[in-house]
Amino acid sequence: MSYLDPRTKLVMVLTVSSLAVLITNLYLLILVQIIAVATVTAAGGSILDMLKKLKKFLLIFVVIVFVQSIFTKGGQPLWQVMNFTIISDLGLFRGLQMILRFFIIISSASIMTTSTPREIIQGLVQCKIPYEMAFMVTIAIRFLPILRDEANDILTAIQLRGINLRQIPLLKRLKTYSYLLMPMITSVLLKAQELSIAMELRAFRAYPQRTSLRVLKMQRLDYLVMAVCILVFLIIMVLALKIK
Amino acid sequence: MIVLENVSFQYTKDRWILKQVDLEIENGSCTFIVGPNGGGKTTLSKLMAGILKPTSGDVYLDQQNTKDLELYQVGTKVGYLFQEPERQIFAATVKDELAFVMDLKEMAQEEIRKRVEAALEQFQLQEVANSFPFQLSRGEKQRLALAAILMNEPSFLILDEPTTGLDRERKKILSQLIEQLKEQGIGMVIISHDEKFIQTHADRVVKVAGGEVKDGG
Repeated sequence: MSYLDPRTKLVMVLTVSSLAVLITNLYLLILVQIIAVATVTAAGGSILDMLKKLKKFLLIFVVIVFVQSIFTKGGQPLWQVMNFTIISDLGLFRGLQMILRFFIIISSASIMTTSTPREIIQGLVQCKIPYEMAFMVTIAIRFLPILRDEANDILTAIQLRGINLRQIPLLKRLKTYSYLLMPMITSVLLKAQELSIAMELRAFRAYPQRTSLRVLKMQRLDYLVMAVCILVFLIIMVLALKIK
Repeated sequence: MIVLENVSFQYTKDRWILKQVDLEIENGSCTFIVGPNGGGKTTLSKLMAGILKPTSGDVYLDQQNTKDLELYQVGTKVGYLFQEPERQIFAATVKDELAFVMDLKEMAQEEIRKRVEAALEQFQLQEVANSFPFQLSRGEKQRLALAAILMNEPSFLILDEPTTGLDRERKKILSQLIEQLKEQGIGMVIISHDEKFIQTHADRVVKVAGGEVKDGG
């Protein structure tokens, strides 16, 4: 997959994630999820890693099912307590729908990780996106793992002060999590400040026109993959309209 | 007491950071870990503190395997000073940082105030008591992080390069503190490149290089 142009990968991600947003039919969403998993696997990604990532959202899924069941009118009750519906088939259906959308978007985004940040910038620039914007996107991607590591370190440091986050009362726990946000936001602001100075010192935007040492060139395979993406998109959309 | 038995560790499958390490660190002694950058010193210290779990082998903290301990349980025994002090500072003011754990444990406000004042004085942080910790100098952050750890009264301390960013005067204060802690029977593991500091305080020096640990006695 690394031989594909980043623009092609962007089209793949856009196709899959747009389908996830536009489709409401559960079976078609499962089909799109299968396509997303197959694409990521072909890109060299591991299904196990993907499942580990998605495991974190399991609790959100359970909450969504309950919330949808309680607040959505209609549907057959599956679990009732004193005439009050806790879980309904409609709630379960909507919960599944939402979590599938989540899964599809998250798994399809991993396709982009098979390109280097420099390739992504170049791809975006050649799509006529202003360099500053493209650079901003790449910086965001570049700093995400660092922020994750920092958050982990701060959580470790809080626990190493002898605090059991699972056992403290909810209100205090929320206060403790606010301690996590403060250093994170500060760190982001400081990093942004330092980065902007470093960029200025290296004459960022000194000239209106930039040239690139490496220019991306679309290959026949890229056009083929893009065509397949558009075809898949159209077929699934037509199917979705017919099933309605 | 910290005991490492046949400990090996790797972050990724293709490279061993530490290989079959056997080591015992006794309470009340001051052990220095030295060695080149990237040699595995910080990894070794994080294994001792239970932050990392060994790929193979076991680490025992007061006879309890760190694999069975949660971080907060380790935290009641061991104080760990990170190489980057800002990673363990999270409150909005220096005072709040020092009072953080005591506040959560709902200690009496008067007791908290007294202990915070004492720590501010000991670490010469009175002038910045109400400052935003992230705007302090590196040395001040280092002192604040150490002071905050000691508020927890750990029986063992692991300090990752504690002299970085400290001027001569502050290094002297740190030296006095280390001697005081030794007298109190608190065991210490210190990672350092500061030879003079090592010579002054070391009961034992352990060299870590290329994944191997050599006990210098």
